[in-house]
Amino acid sequence: MLRKLCLALAVTASTLAMGASAWADITILVPSGSEGDGLRAAAADYAKLKGTKVEIVQAPYANVFEQGANAGATKSGVFDIILMDDPWIPFFAENGHLEELTTYFKNAGLEGPDDDFLSKSRAICRNPYNEGPYVCLPYVGNAQMFFYDAAKFKEVGVESPETWDDVLKAAKALTEQGGGRYFGYVFRGGQGNPVVADFMPIFWSYGADMFDEGRTKVTIDTPEGAEAMKMFMALRDVSPKGVESYNANEVGTAMAAGTAASSINWPNWVATFEDPSQSRMVGKISYSPIPDGTEPGSSEIGHWTMGIMSAAKNKQEAFDFMLWATSPEQIKISAERGNPPVRRSVFTDPEMTKQEKFRHYPVLMEAIEASTPRPRHPKWPEIENAFGIELSKAVAGTIKPEEALKNSQAAVEQISGLK
Amino acid sequence: MLKKGKSAALFEIGGGFEHWAERRLRYLMLAPAVVILLALTIFPSLYMFYAAVHRISPNPELPWQFVGTANFARLFSDGQFHVALRNTAVFTIIAVSLEFALGLGLALLLDKYIRRLTFLKTVLMIPMMLPPIAVAITWKLIYEPQFGVLNEIMYRLGLPTQAWAGDVDLAMLSIIVADVWQWTPFIFLLMLAGLASLPVEPYEAAELDGASSWRQFWDLTIPFLKPVIAIALLLRVMDALRLFDLVFILTGGGPADRTKVLSLYIYQVAYRFADPGYAAAISLFVLFVTLILSTWFMKRMRLVE
Repeated sequence: MLRKLCLALAVTASTLAMGASAWADITILVPSGSEGDGLRAAAADYAKLKGTKVEIVQAPYANVFEQGANAGATKSGVFDIILMDDPWIPFFAENGHLEELTTYFKNAGLEGPDDDFLSKSRAICRNPYNEGPYVCLPYVGNAQMFFYDAAKFKEVGVESPETWDDVLKAAKALTEQGGGRYFGYVFRGGQGNPVVADFMPIFWSYGADMFDEGRTKVTIDTPEGAEAMKMFMALRDVSPKGVESYNANEVGTAMAAGTAASSINWPNWVATFEDPSQSRMVGKISYSPIPDGTEPGSSEIGHWTMGIMSAAKNKQEAFDFMLWATSPEQIKISAERGNPPVRRSVFTDPEMTKQEKFRHYPVLMEAIEASTPRPRHPKWPEIENAFGIELSKAVAGTIKPEEALKNSQAAVEQISGLK
Repeated sequence: MLKKGKSAALFEIGGGFEHWAERRLRYLMLAPAVVILLALTIFPSLYMFYAAVHRISPNPELPWQFVGTANFARLFSDGQFHVALRNTAVFTIIAVSLEFALGLGLALLLDKYIRRLTFLKTVLMIPMMLPPIAVAITWKLIYEPQFGVLNEIMYRLGLPTQAWAGDVDLAMLSIIVADVWQWTPFIFLLMLAGLASLPVEPYEAAELDGASSWRQFWDLTIPFLKPVIAIALLLRVMDALRLFDLVFILTGGGPADRTKVLSLYIYQVAYRFADPGYAAAISLFVLFVTLILSTWFMKRMRLVE
């Protein structure tokens, strides 16, 4: 009798376990943090409203890419939607993991995302960039901004930093005054994605880029690249010790604790800086677009976008959810939940702009409109890794900056197959 | 009569089955374990060999392309692999040596002088019981250059603060220290068990012959402990070759590639660069090196003939 009972329990448990993954109408893979939390909340609202069962699978940043790539390569159909960081789009799209959205828009009587989306937010969702068909919809409007303590900058004679030279001048003076406990500038110097993310805006501000326009040639080791590298090294010299291993958390913590006066950062840090329970700098940090170099400054765009996996089981339901989640009303709710918007109407909504916590919106909208995407290449993760190693070596001082550029040029040529 | 004959036949059939089942009971009992072993160990291993001789595109529409030994040949020209190999070797040699010296030293100390303090023995074993991720995060906070306790102590003592895990010259050392902190108790535990099982008579004889403590240690303790030492070192070397958690959390392989180890590189190649064929080739290389080292080591320590 007992054996029969055990057997029955085992069979029931197995059936339930197998069925658990199939209970939802739509399964969405999202990252940990505010972006994923926002979409999780939206999914709950959608489930209540439409009666559709939406399952959210949340994973750390790097694991979202890995799980998405694995699901795409094995055509498992385990995820219907993936919330992607925009540099991943070429990898997913060019390896056939993403569904083109043209037909879905047509069936919905639309030509594509409406004009209320910022133009750069729409451009990032096409592959190739700004030209190809839409493969996703923008959800979180991230683009880097320049964060600085205006009072400290003023103390050393820089009213508002317009150029990287202004930043360096102020940062140098503040670091000298700081006696090893306060620094004028701080950046993400950690090997790989962090150091690349904080170098690219400076790289672009000096007219450099990783590839030429048609992606036919690698253009890292150029006079413009050298100028950018020179400024990057000068900024390193006024940054805290150990910046070689800094990631977003360390930079954010230094700014919130008031031990560093300026940095490039993502807008989702604004909430932390303006929260008295987490920051000593409430109301003291100013936001501006990326400073100019020899060319106008340009932010790195870092949008979170929703795409339908090619092997998804419920593609139409997935598209319907994406359209709903990116509607003006939902993007406004998402913004209230802490995610930067992608729609002009939300950026300029008086209900939003009158709130102190959204005072950075005009700057952020300007930053998105002046943004540049990370080099669009299906092998971007490998390219970023190789470039990140050389930049890390330069930041750590184990090789000369010009060697870093030369080595990066060779490494990216080899990975991309472009000579 | 007919009825009786029928039930007798059934009994015979039943008896035959019982006899069959009884004869094969050991195989039936082993079957689930064998199936699990095949599914979780043998099949993935064979699959890894298969993957290692193919170029596998992340695009599911493209077939696997047989490349023979090309993935293995790539090991010779891949600079990042060479860096990871060198770093893994440096880490393994230094970390395991320190763990062995400290573990043996502590075991001798506790065995000889403070045998009764079981509480102290338990405390010494705590690091080993912690999850590696918790250890890595704890050390990350300790090493944090601006707010970390280590630099606070340095500052208060008037010593220059350091970037620790963020410094090219100190990053590997920082990882070694964290690893030594966690795994010295493992060596200590094995050595303590070994010391507790040593025979008393040879020591009494040595005492009578006037042998010094040092002489007793070299000529009695070490030879007696040899099998335990061999097992402890073997397990630690094999584990050190697979180091991942500490590096992933503390440095991510940086700065300047100074702490990139083989496991981290395999993970990057497989999951970040979506090149599982090459990752399988590197994994096989690591497996091969581990096997060679283990065999050589066991022969040298005369654990196997």
